[in-house]
Amino acid sequence: MSDEDVQVIKPPNTLSAKVSKGGPGAVDLEAIERAEAVIAGMADNYLEWVEEDLVKLQKSYDGLIGDRDNAKERMETIFGIAHDMKGQGGSFNYDLMTILGNDLCRFIEDKETASDVDVEVIGLYVSAMKVVIAQRMEGDGGAAGTEVLNGLAAVVEKLTR
Amino acid sequence: MSDFNISELKVLVVDDYEPMLLILKRVLRALGIRDIKESHSGEHALKTLETNEIDIIFTDNLMEPMGGIDLVRNIRSGEHGTDPFASIIMVSGELGMDKIVEARDAGINEFLAKPISAKLLYKRICSIIENPRPFIRTESYFGPDRRRRQLEFMGEDKRQIAYDYSKGM
Repeated sequence: MSDEDVQVIKPPNTLSAKVSKGGPGAVDLEAIERAEAVIAGMADNYLEWVEEDLVKLQKSYDGLIGDRDNAKERMETIFGIAHDMKGQGGSFNYDLMTILGNDLCRFIEDKETASDVDVEVIGLYVSAMKVVIAQRMEGDGGAAGTEVLNGLAAVVEKLTR
Repeated sequence: MSDFNISELKVLVVDDYEPMLLILKRVLRALGIRDIKESHSGEHALKTLETNEIDIIFTDNLMEPMGGIDLVRNIRSGEHGTDPFASIIMVSGELGMDKIVEARDAGINEFLAKPISAKLLYKRICSIIENPRPFIRTESYFGPDRRRRQLEFMGEDKRQIAYDYSKGM
């Protein structure tokens, strides 16, 4: 078979047989609001998880500082932790954690080695994420949140210029 | 959005990050789904799929050692006793266009960006229910039709119906 040969297959629609519309138990707007409330109700859990993640992040960062010969593997570990933190922050109204986690991942993702500047920048991101949680900067964090993001961006730009 | 009763659906949630697994399970349960299985790895997910009938798979992408993309390819291959036509929603924080295209080309049905919300999660489920897509098999691809809209062809459509499963096995 070549890419020119295309088969179209209509699989059995098994979902439609199991799903009905309307009636008791159907997902209406109220049900969606209840489901959103379930997420919001896990806010305390989130703070526990993120505190644990911050400890793991700091440990991994310390590992990078002490083992620059294996910087790639060390940074992959940091990437994984930051990636998980980024993936849940916004669900709990900690948008800054999602922004900072994403920026840290983007900074790390293509690096094979870690220069002194790289290590310093990674440390700044780790510190900023700790500040966001320590000060409970929900949403955009207001003026303090803007200060954290802008201050970090300015320092990173200066260091990496 | 349609008001579907989805309580009879059987789902599998795959994520190596425990908190995300918990969030997804609780939201799905709040939407009415009762049969929710979980896997912490791609490998475990394949084993679960071998022995369980699953309607929708929610999978993370960044997992070790088997990532979400490889899991999707394995499912679509049907080589592990899995249903190659299973509905797959990738739930991922990897939002670069290259990653999304890679997931699409592996054969996912839908993509849900992290951080998630209940509304968007349900919207993806609705999309799978309301817009079942035919599967396409070429030398390099097997999965749901990647064309969202049927575009008008100027020439002859080379695609042929291989087998219409909707008419019965």
